[in-house]
Amino acid sequence: MSYEDWYRQDRLPHIYCAGCGNGTIINCTLEAIDEMGWKKEETVFVSGIGCSSRAPGYIVTDSLHTTHGRALPFATGVKMSRPEFHVVVFTGDGDLAAIGGNHFIHACRRNIDLTVVCMNNQIYGMTGGQGSPTTPLGALSTTTPFGSAEPAFDLCELAIAAGANYVSRWTSYHVKELTKAVKKGMETPGLSFIEAMVQCPTNYGRRNKFKQVLDQVEYIRSHSMMRQKYLQLMEQGGAVPDNTIVVGEFINRARPAMGVPR
Amino acid sequence: MKIEIDESRCKGCNLCTIGCPYKIFQAGKKPNRKGVLVPMLDRPERCTNCRLQHLYGRVLCGVCQMTCPDQAIRFRDEKPGETMKVAIEY
Repeated sequence: MSYEDWYRQDRLPHIYCAGCGNGTIINCTLEAIDEMGWKKEETVFVSGIGCSSRAPGYIVTDSLHTTHGRALPFATGVKMSRPEFHVVVFTGDGDLAAIGGNHFIHACRRNIDLTVVCMNNQIYGMTGGQGSPTTPLGALSTTTPFGSAEPAFDLCELAIAAGANYVSRWTSYHVKELTKAVKKGMETPGLSFIEAMVQCPTNYGRRNKFKQVLDQVEYIRSHSMMRQKYLQLMEQGGAVPDNTIVVGEFINRARPAMGVPR
Repeated sequence: MKIEIDESRCKGCNLCTIGCPYKIFQAGKKPNRKGVLVPMLDRPERCTNCRLQHLYGRVLCGVCQMTCPDQAIRFRDEKPGETMKVAIEY
């Protein structure tokens, strides 16, 4: 068995743009699921609307493609009615942080036994490149033509504050670490939130001086910083470079979880 | 075992060229039937995973396969009787 067996081979190649990182994240998630040894009949993928949310359509298991931002309520329903099912939510930043933000914090508060994989491409990629809550300060998009004037959302800190059991952030460059993080999140009872920073060459990269796909991946790689190093720098009062992507495991705790089969 | 690029799936993003520590994948020069510049393999017999996966019974590196967003790269066993070339780079 490998992650290839989880794809619907008749639906491939998928519709993502050349160089889009979403395919990498699906590979990593499916590899983690394959290592967990779950059955295809007992795994459900739930997604909302957006580029990332097209992912369950390429996977052989049962899936729900729901309304914009409401992937987590639907996933909660699946988990509450059939607690023996393994529910994985694919979601994007516009889906999770913008329209579904309230559902996200309440899912974290209830600590339902879900795995949420957020593919954060920092923009609304599917609808033409509008600025999203995670667009970094100063980045160009169609709705922020002079640079985004608002600070970006830090989804991992939000998940920690709201009470998720496992939170980590990796990028599409760190495939092995991301696979391990998703696997660990699946093993942890309670809501596990994995944020994956992905490149969006079509709508984010070309407006922000990344002419090639590799330029943006290289930017993501060189601006990543391990959380331990970041905390050490903050402790010493050192200057953290701008636009740093803090990666690593943020928290792993055992709050009482909901929906765990007994 | 050898590396294979599925030309019907590859979209020519060249993400595989930064993942491989041996730089086996090189940016393609000639467009294929669909007009995609599929990466070329530069001495793929150096790949560690191709040599040792059977010995260890697990995927050793596989970063190119995981990174490929279009699921175009896969490791395929040789057909019976097919020669297997091996090169080791230190």
